[in-house]
Amino acid sequence: MTTPSIVLDGIVCMAGGRAVLEIPQLNLAQGERVAVVGHNGAGKSTLLRLLTGFVAPAHGQVQVLGRQLVHQVSAETLRALRQEVGQVSQGLHLVGRLSVLENVLIGALGRVPGWRGWTRCFPAGEIVRAEAALQSVGLLALAGTRADRLSGGERQKAAIARLLVQAPSLILADEPTAALDPSAAAEVCRLLVEAAAGKTLITVVHNPSLLPLLAERVIGLKQGRIAFNLPVGEVDDTTLMRLYRPEDSPQKACWEIPSASKELAAIGSKP
Amino acid sequence: MAVRTLPGASGRLGFLGLTLAYTLLVAVCLGSLAQEDELSLGRNPWANLVKTAGEFARPSFLDVWFGETQLEYRSDDGRVLRVENRRQVEADYLAGLGRATWTTVRIATLGSLLGALLALPLAVLTARNLAAPKPLAWLVKGILDAIRSIHTLVFGLVLVGIVGLGPTAGILAIALHSSGTYGKLFAEAIETLDMAAVDAVRSVGAGPVQVFFNAIWPSVLPQFVSSHLYVWEFNIRDSTILGLIGAGGLGLLITESVALFQWGRLATVLIVIVALVSAFDALSRRIREALL
Repeated sequence: MTTPSIVLDGIVCMAGGRAVLEIPQLNLAQGERVAVVGHNGAGKSTLLRLLTGFVAPAHGQVQVLGRQLVHQVSAETLRALRQEVGQVSQGLHLVGRLSVLENVLIGALGRVPGWRGWTRCFPAGEIVRAEAALQSVGLLALAGTRADRLSGGERQKAAIARLLVQAPSLILADEPTAALDPSAAAEVCRLLVEAAAGKTLITVVHNPSLLPLLAERVIGLKQGRIAFNLPVGEVDDTTLMRLYRPEDSPQKACWEIPSASKELAAIGSKP
Repeated sequence: MAVRTLPGASGRLGFLGLTLAYTLLVAVCLGSLAQEDELSLGRNPWANLVKTAGEFARPSFLDVWFGETQLEYRSDDGRVLRVENRRQVEADYLAGLGRATWTTVRIATLGSLLGALLALPLAVLTARNLAAPKPLAWLVKGILDAIRSIHTLVFGLVLVGIVGLGPTAGILAIALHSSGTYGKLFAEAIETLDMAAVDAVRSVGAGPVQVFFNAIWPSVLPQFVSSHLYVWEFNIRDSTILGLIGAGGLGLLITESVALFQWGRLATVLIVIVALVSAFDALSRRIREALL
């Protein structure tokens, strides 16, 4: 638990001329499970994209799994890094026209070079592995179904099966339960944590009830800065409310603004 | 498409203005032609219409069954010059028509395939979401726009001068013109890609070629096939006219029958074209629906 998985040092990320993420110092150990919370635009997704090299920092140093992501990272380094970083995000991230099994096998692309990777003629061992992954998320019966025929929950499970095949040492999940009903969300979280056993897991999540399930530590982001970094047991409603409260109304959280609640009541009372 | 709109053409007043401008244009076209006395219908249009329609109404292929077997051609003094079996003559004509149809289908098929292959790399360069270098994208887009706006017949005329008469000129003319259309359709198909899925494949560390074959190709292939069938069908129609310039096929028979005022034979050729195009249309529609 002492090897650092991620080291951020003096990070500033710019977008459209303003800083969207400023992190002076952040270390995550190998095998840690961390949740990132914060309002929309707080820099959560930017943080995840920073760790996979999809976003480059304007200043500072990023070290992920022992690799330095400096300004000009070679495509080979990025590809090697991405093979070790598994990602699950909300919404559309499966190739809709490929079957569920083919989507899961995409996780193996990093290990399958040359024509086999181009023609999707995967070695038998990878297919066995993919079927085992589908079995463990309970989707084996749908292996031949096209991915765009799946429900939201099934898609996320397929994405987790892809993670299992990819076997990364760091998993980044960007609101994996955003569009799911509560029971599906809980199941996806359970599978995600199972898949992340012994690996570093960073999850961006909005639903506070899922925090204990997903994380040991919670990082609160507010306007691109770290507002708190606490063990999950110390994060309570007040901490979260303070995080989500807009700057211009210091006393009340946004869901307490009287006019808004009146409008909601009016909508609710309509037949 | 981020095309700049015409200023002042939006809104209700703008539409009224457009309607007025259009009405004015139609009036000017009609008025100027009338003033130049170019709107005449000839001397006796009705009689001509009835005569032509009558000949069209008796397509020549009917002679295969109903033609005279002993049609005698006589000179003015009553001597028999030649005895013709109309049934045999028309049967031979139909065999020639079959060969010409086959030539037309071959020209359209090979021309369409060649056009699609030419257009594929150009479409990848012009698709905005694949982010090819800007100047290159503009150049290729300009080329595509230019070749799309040149008619197949014009390409055909130029190519007949280069490669000589025959189907080769037709194939190349179809390929060149339709590669412009293909390029536009393919690029639009690529632009509707789900980039999140592309990023997802990239995020497992796949290389560019792997990303292309695992994320881009399977997503755009059905649309490519659909566009291909559409343009192919269009080209079958287009290549029937290419015979006019000596590229062979049905167009040659059209020129022949028009030159000899054989409306019955022209009717036969047109029936074949209509049947061919509608059959291909029905088939390609079914295939396209099955793919999506």
